[in-house]
Parts: sequence; structure tokens; C-alpha cells
Amino acid sequence: MQRLSLIVLILALASAQVFVLGRATEEKNLLPLYQGDDAVMPSPVLKVAVFEFDGLASDFMFLKALVFMGSTLERADLPTLVRTPFKREKKSISIIEEWEWKWLYGILDASTGLDPYFLDPYYVANANLTWGGGLIRETNLLLEKGSRYRNWDWQLPFYVGFNNFFFLHDNIKASEYLMEASRRPGGNPGFASLASKLAYEEHKTEISILLLEEITKTTDDEALKKMYLIRLGALKSILTVEKSVAAYKKRFGKTPRTVEELLQRHVLKELPIDPYGGKYYIDPQGTVRTTSEARLMPGTH
Amino acid sequence: MRTLWPIAFITFKEGVRNRAIYGISIFALLLLGANLLISNMFMQEVGKVAVDMALSTVSFAGLLLVLFVGINLMAKDLDKRTIYMVLSRPISRPQYIVGKFFGMVVLLLVTLLFLSTFAIISIQLVKMSAPTYFARFSWSLVFLSLFFATIGLVLLTAQSFLFSSFTSTSFITLVLTVVSYIIGQSLSDVKTLIENSQIVGIKISPVTVKVIQVAYYVFPNLSLFDIKTQAAHGLSLSVSYIFWIVLYGFIYTCLAIAFAALVFRKKEFP
Repeated sequence: MQRLSLIVLILALASAQVFVLGRATEEKNLLPLYQGDDAVMPSPVLKVAVFEFDGLASDFMFLKALVFMGSTLERADLPTLVRTPFKREKKSISIIEEWEWKWLYGILDASTGLDPYFLDPYYVANANLTWGGGLIRETNLLLEKGSRYRNWDWQLPFYVGFNNFFFLHDNIKASEYLMEASRRPGGNPGFASLASKLAYEEHKTEISILLLEEITKTTDDEALKKMYLIRLGALKSILTVEKSVAAYKKRFGKTPRTVEELLQRHVLKELPIDPYGGKYYIDPQGTVRTTSEARLMPGTH
Repeated sequence: MRTLWPIAFITFKEGVRNRAIYGISIFALLLLGANLLISNMFMQEVGKVAVDMALSTVSFAGLLLVLFVGINLMAKDLDKRTIYMVLSRPISRPQYIVGKFFGMVVLLLVTLLFLSTFAIISIQLVKMSAPTYFARFSWSLVFLSLFFATIGLVLLTAQSFLFSSFTSTSFITLVLTVVSYIIGQSLSDVKTLIENSQIVGIKISPVTVKVIQVAYYVFPNLSLFDIKTQAAHGLSLSVSYIFWIVLYGFIYTCLAIAFAALVFRKKEFP
């Protein structure tokens, strides 16, 4: 009898435990998201705190960053999880807040501070902090550190070169880093000639496409690859429009004022689709632009 | 020399009988199994993470062994009063200390050899599942890292023997050894940190700087034996580095044991 009642008690407690855990987790999710706390311990302090296990600590710091990136994917599906008091209306596709980008940068910086040879954090920083977070200069600082340590790796100086060219419009620095990438084992010797072409402003879109194709080629991660392919598609569409603007100029001796003119005069058969949902237009200076995220466009200052 | 071996052998046998050694080994084997899961969560450097996990597990298990088995072995003779029986035989006190130390070192070597084998198997398994991420991988560096970790742990054992020669309870020895490990692992980082304190924006008094600089030469620099980063990334290591590190480990270990023998000669038993 005693045995039976004990078993019944255990079963009841076990099922109650499962139920209560579910409710407790729900309640925890309802707590306001902690806001603005982007502080990460600086890596010299961390290095002391983790004794001889800095490699392992670096791995787990990076995993934390990965988990965070994964959780932001969930946010899009679960709008109720983004608590209203803290939700800010933002135009961009990303729902990652500014302080969260800073935190992400901090944690990737700490991870590479613990193990500066670790490639993955640089890789994730370059793919996310630049396009999504707009932290170009910070990302370049990270990548420059990586490039110094991983002196056998052509990818990191290549990324620095690309960011300098594409986002910061610093062609001198960009060509320096592309040259460096071309000299390292496995680096494409074609980067060197590309570096010398950077000085010519008019080939900006074409060079961007070439460089971005190179980045896409070396990306194994499917999600990242997809992102890069969409960006490439956007750039290629712009190139098509730019080319027809040039053809229009040649044929009619003036710059078209609207993209519709290109269609009316049959210079362009149909307007390419902007993968980001924007509309192409021509600004008063004659540059092709789109109404979607402006920072994707080379040449916009 | 002949009198040393029986003590070493008995110490080893006593250590093997200690249950903690099995607990530590099972814990380490679980971690090495987890290596297969964890390293696959990474995108690029799967090999680096696998090596990190495997080497860290062996180091950590070794550390637990020194702290919970080694110190116990030394304390047991005193707690159970068996030391009177041992010392009534024609054995000098320094011989007793050195014999005990050898026994513990053999125990440490056997356990680490066992765990290293499994660490190597776990790396090999990850390597077989993702061979493309092992481009810069080198087995010799992994072996060297395991060897260095062993030297570091032998040194820490010697240090714990020195502490137990003058403390009255094994708990104090444990605390002192843990402190010594912490200092030994972080001293060179702390030295770098305080000498470049402006980078992280902290102010440090010149007295602290002096104290740290003195401590740097008194405590063993255990971080020298940590080449996990080099092993994980296949970075080259000079022969002269290996030579000086091994020599440093040997000299410091002898120094600690000699000190322990000196103190133990005058120790009064309860």
C-alpha cells in the first residue's frame, strides 16, 4: 500500500512538474526584454577569468552570438514575443535593435580577443554586422585584427577590401587589402588587377558584382549564400538599368529623367525587379537608385 | 633509489583504489562524447573546436585528479596515522616524500594516457565526419599539447606536495593548490593586463605592479604549458620553445619537491 501511494505521488509530481515548467517558461518569455545592455567584458579581463581554457571560452562566446542570430529569425515568426513597450517602429527588414548589433559586435570582438585565430566569428561579423547592422568601421577593425593573425588566409583581407570599397568608398585602402589578398596562398591573382581598376568610378557596380561573386563562391553556409545571392541579384538589376541609361545617353545625347523614358523609347524592354521590393528611379545627377534600403546601393553617400 | 619504489608502488595502488578517479574519468569520457555534438554546431572551424574540446577536457580532468586524488593520497597517511608505520622503517623523510611523489606521477601519467587516447579518438571521429575543416590540422601539435599539459600537472602536483608538507589539514592544501593554479594560469595575463592597463581603461597603483612582478617569479607560470591555441590552429612552435619549457617544468618541479623534503624533515606529526 505504501509503495503504491509513493508511486502515485511520484507520477503526480512528475506530471505537475512538466505542467509548471511550461507555465514558468511562458511567464519568463513575457518578462520585458532587457534593453540596451550591450556591455560585454573586454577580452583582456576575460582572458584572466577563464584560466587556460580561452580557446573553449572563445568557442562558447561565438556560440552565444550564433544563438542570438538564430533567435532573431524566430522574432519574425513570433511577433507577440517582441514586447510592445520596447518595440520601435523601424523601416528596415531587420528587427534587430541597434544596441543588439553593438552587443553582437562586442561578443564577437571578445571571442576573437580570446582566440584571434578563430575564423568563424570574423566570418559571421562580416556577413551580418555590415549588411544588417551597418557597423562597417567596427567590422573592419575586427577583420583587420583577423587578417594580422591569420596571415595565411586570403579571405579576411579580401573582406576588408570589399567593405572599404563597397560601403566606405575608400578605394585606396580597398586596393591595398585586395592586393594583400591576391598575394596570400589560395587568393585569386585576379584581385590585383581588380585593385588597380578601383580608381575608375564608373565601373563601381561591375566591380561590386565581381567581388560579391567571389564572396558567394567561398560561402558554405546555405542561409548566408542565399542572402548574398539576393544582394547579387539586386546589383545585377541595377547594372542592367545603368547600362541602358548609358545606351540612352549615347543614342539621344541626354540623360533620361525617369526610368519610364527608357521603356518608352525601347532602350530597356522591361524594368528588372528589385528583390528588396523597391522601385528604380533616376536621381537629378543621373545616378540609378532604388526606393528600397538605400545602403545596399554603391555610390550613395 | 631502491627504497623509493615500494612507496611509489603502494601510493599508485592506493590511488587506483580511490573512487574519485573513476568519477573523473567518466566525466571526461562524457565530455569527449559531447565533443562530437558540439563541434558540429560550428560553420567553418570544426577542427579547431574539436581540438579545443578534447584538449581542454584532458587538462581539466587532470586538474581534478591532482586536486582531489593527489592531495588525498598525501593526507591519508597523516590522517590515518599510517605514516608512523612507514617512517619506523629504514626510510628517511625525504625518501618518503619523493617516493609518494613518484607514485602520484605514475598515477597521473596512466590516467592521462587513458584519457588522451579517448581524446584522440574523439578528434579522429570528428575529423572523419568533416575532413574538409581539418586543413591546417597537425597530430604532432596535439600530442605535444597533451605532453605539455602533463608536465604542467606534474608541476602542480609537486606544488601541492610542498603545501601539504607544512599545512596541517588537506583542506588548506587544496585551497593553496587551487590558488596556486589560478595564479599560475593567469599571472602572465595579469602581468600583460596591468602593464597595458590603459587599454581597458583601468588605473593600477605602482605597488600592485611591483607585487605582480615579484609574484611572477615566485609562482609557477603554468600558462607556459598551455599550447592549446597553437594545437587547435596548427600554428608552428619553435624547438627552442619546447626545450626551454620542458627544462622550466623539470627545474620548478625539482625545486618544489626539494623544498617539500626540506620542510617535511622538521614536521611534527599529531
